[in-house]
Amino acid sequence: MNAKKTKSWSLEKTFDVLMWVLLIAACLLIVIPLIFMFTSSAMPARDILRMPYPWIPDGFHWPNFWNALRGPEGDFIFIRNVLNSLIVSGTVALFTVVFSSLAGYGLAKFKFKGRNLVFMLIMATMMIPFEAIMIPLYMVAMRMGLQDTYTGLILPFLANAFGVFLMRQYLITFPDEILDAARIDGASEPRIFSTIVLPSSGPAVATLAILAFRSQWDSLLWPLLVVQSDEMKTIPLYITKFMAETHSDEGIMMAVAVMASIPMITLFLTLSKYFVSKEGLTSATKG
Amino acid sequence: MRQSKGFSMERKKARWGWVFVTPSLLLFAAFSFYPIINAFYESFFNRNLLSLRPPSFVGWNNYTYLFNSREFWLSVQNTLIFAAGTFIPLVVFSLALAILIMSISRFRRFFQLAFYSPAVLSSVVAAMIWLLIFDPRGLANQGANSLFGTTGVNYNWLSTTGMLRLSTIIVYFWKYIGYFTVVFVSGIGSIPETLNEAALIDGANRLKLFWYVTLPLLKPTTMLVSIMTMIQCLKTFSTQYLFSTAGAPTRPINVITLNIYNTAIKDYRIGRATAMSILLFIVMFAFTWLQLKVSRTEEVSHM
Amino acid sequence: MILKKTSVLLLVVLSFLLATSVVGAQNIEITYWTHTDDNRTVIENRYIEEFQAMYPNVTIKRVVNEASKMGDLMLTAFSANNAPDLFNLPIEQEYGYMAHHRVAPVNYEAIGYKDAEDLIGQYMAGTFDTVMMDGQIYGLPLELTNWSIYLNKNIFRDAGLDPETDYPKTWEEMIEVADKLTLRNGEIITRRGFDFRYPYYLVAMLPMVEQLGGSLLSEDGKTAIVNDEAWIQVFEWFRTWGPHGRNLGSPTYTSARKIFNMDNNDIAMAHTGFYQQGRIRVDNEEFYDSGEWMVVPYPVFENAVNDVGASYYGHFMMVNAQAPSERQEWAWKFAAYMLDHGWEYLETVNIIQPRQDLIDDPRYLELPYMNVFMDDMARSHMVFLHENGFQFERFIKEAIESVMLSNMPSEEALDILRERIQEVLDDTY
Repeated sequence: MNAKKTKSWSLEKTFDVLMWVLLIAACLLIVIPLIFMFTSSAMPARDILRMPYPWIPDGFHWPNFWNALRGPEGDFIFIRNVLNSLIVSGTVALFTVVFSSLAGYGLAKFKFKGRNLVFMLIMATMMIPFEAIMIPLYMVAMRMGLQDTYTGLILPFLANAFGVFLMRQYLITFPDEILDAARIDGASEPRIFSTIVLPSSGPAVATLAILAFRSQWDSLLWPLLVVQSDEMKTIPLYITKFMAETHSDEGIMMAVAVMASIPMITLFLTLSKYFVSKEGLTSATKG
Repeated sequence: MRQSKGFSMERKKARWGWVFVTPSLLLFAAFSFYPIINAFYESFFNRNLLSLRPPSFVGWNNYTYLFNSREFWLSVQNTLIFAAGTFIPLVVFSLALAILIMSISRFRRFFQLAFYSPAVLSSVVAAMIWLLIFDPRGLANQGANSLFGTTGVNYNWLSTTGMLRLSTIIVYFWKYIGYFTVVFVSGIGSIPETLNEAALIDGANRLKLFWYVTLPLLKPTTMLVSIMTMIQCLKTFSTQYLFSTAGAPTRPINVITLNIYNTAIKDYRIGRATAMSILLFIVMFAFTWLQLKVSRTEEVSHM
Repeated sequence: MILKKTSVLLLVVLSFLLATSVVGAQNIEITYWTHTDDNRTVIENRYIEEFQAMYPNVTIKRVVNEASKMGDLMLTAFSANNAPDLFNLPIEQEYGYMAHHRVAPVNYEAIGYKDAEDLIGQYMAGTFDTVMMDGQIYGLPLELTNWSIYLNKNIFRDAGLDPETDYPKTWEEMIEVADKLTLRNGEIITRRGFDFRYPYYLVAMLPMVEQLGGSLLSEDGKTAIVNDEAWIQVFEWFRTWGPHGRNLGSPTYTSARKIFNMDNNDIAMAHTGFYQQGRIRVDNEEFYDSGEWMVVPYPVFENAVNDVGASYYGHFMMVNAQAPSERQEWAWKFAAYMLDHGWEYLETVNIIQPRQDLIDDPRYLELPYMNVFMDDMARSHMVFLHENGFQFERFIKEAIESVMLSNMPSEEALDILRERIQEVLDDTY
């Protein structure tokens, strides 16, 4: 084996070096726009579109961040908008987990007539793209008076077919003996669910929560339809407001981009194993 | 006696099953089933968003209009061009990158995370960044000029039809390449090491190993990835919306979802917008059904 | 014991309900939506305070959104039957609401006028033409605006031109002058001579067609596109302007009015209104004071048959017809109170209310370049108004973009435009 290796070292080694070069080149290409975002946020607007681009900023241009926070109206509404995004994304994540695990548990561990039909129906909703139902959904929300409210932003996304699927897959493998033992001990079904099943579903719950949070954080279309006032805007809407403003300064815009991305970047770095793990992948159409 | 006790236990369990499932079911009914049925219903009327007049029944008119409309077929064309133009490079390059990653021994995780990082940004942020890059004075022109050895050539990233479409594809590609690379990495990783070793013992070199062992075993994963990307691409909205509201021409990138949005919100035509939504739904339905079928067979592939 | 407890509880609840309902009935909240303008926000917030002090039972909630999004937002609000009590939009966007009876006629008594005639008399002739329906007036004017060409003298001199004499008087000259002013790095433009006011084609571009004798609709409003040659000449002018022609600019570069104030040597001329001066003063006081800027009239084609300036448009305050009548009355009262400060709006925000007493004021014509604006306005007309004006503008935008950026032949673009407009005209809904 060793003899074979040293004989053809030049071919193998060249391959290796080539791999590394390609990987590093690809890595750089992908990462450059991100670097651009960070460096641009630290320079005054007129430098950003200078030719050639001055990669290393001339000192940190704090006014960008100050003005980004201050907002075009000078009312620091950005802080409120960040809060809105956090509230909406967090609530959706929380309730998605609750409702999905309830349904997943019911489908996994209880036999009842029509169980398969219910499962098929729920899976069928995954085939309905949001863009196809956004208009009727919008009209329903309007009739219920949900425009410009947190409820309006949150409610339509609590029903998550993929979440149900995920929890069901996970819970199917949960040992029945433990459940039966608890029942014999006299524990009620809700008790069993909350004290035994849910706590041991950690990985699935975490993955689902992160997926739901991220999907909401990014959401543009629904808030665009539902939100009317400045105060209720979420971060993507705040950014589009900035882009249309009379004095759209590129430096400030990049600062807004950086600040808007910090929560997700932090989540990504600290919980990277959930993004790049096997469970994190099959998040089908929830990009 | 024992039989009836067992029977009522069954009944009790069945009831609890329903209790657990009902909350979600209600939500689905309200926010998935009802809207799609309502959309189907609305597509037979001619509701005007602004008018207080009640809409009148127009039967299949909205659909016949769409099938005869140049603008509608243009958005179908735009959507298909975008989807094909994005999904082929996505599948090919994510597979390539996955193979590259798996052939080095260290830093695998680092590279995966690096490639994945754009997906962490929201699509609005991504659009903002790329709008600056594609500005005539921005990095795209600078990069292209130095790459092709030209100076001062404006590649019109956001102006001409072809370049504009390419630009939206680039943004989407950039955002999702990492995601699918990771899928392939886990796909390759799940090939049992024993298979690789057996092939190596049989005298295969790395190239042969890849071609005759890895690739065929990756077929289900490739299929899965292809369908997933196709579905994602058909649903694209933010990039095109943000580019067209930032000054880029709308016509070349007027994909179906953008068309639906504009028809409803700018033209006030709910009937026509819902008809388009239903058509989109039918197409997506077909693809998603396909995806579910493939993902189920993927589980049983290796043995 | 239980009876006593419950009856006490009941009493408390009842009196609470009574109190809140009484208070609720007394307190009136008016929602007022408008677009962003830093200067105007300051003074209007003050008016709100003063008004609320005068009428303690009324509160005003002022909401701002950026101008380009206001159209969409108002639409979604109205379609949800949840529109604000008071709002203002450009007239071409308001027209639809009036036509569909979503806004209410002015409450003349509430604001101190006898009737419509009385109100009309207070304003410049023709002010209310576009907001009158069946003899009733549907809006109070916040501003009447037209755009002329602002010019940066420094850049002109830098290019070897004399700003006082060499500014473009025709569209053909505009191309040549802009060419001298434009700086490029290869094909990439770093300094533009002029930038069009891109999304606003009805105001800024349609008059070009009218100068050549064309129009958007026929007299009876039933046919789309009159005088193809006029349209094609304008389309070709735009092609020449864009990247496939002389490469003098395009919609994808930063909009001129955003950067003109900065005097950063990147744009020589911008097409904007009197209010721009207020913004220059705020953004770059040095530039404002230096006098290195001036205003010149809107150019005409050499072979023009009509001397038409850029259209003017108005912003009118309108009241939601579905709001309870008491709120409507207060909304009109509040609107009138704000608008009574005509001179302050002019000085602080640089917007012109076409009130007769304002225009007759001797200080008026002494404002910087007001005579240029007034002359331009005299040769213009109100912006094209139509229930579907919104849509037509979008079609024109796409036609120009196709010619200018996608290099589509002008005839083809015109045919597509004609088809799309005709289709909307022929529609029963």
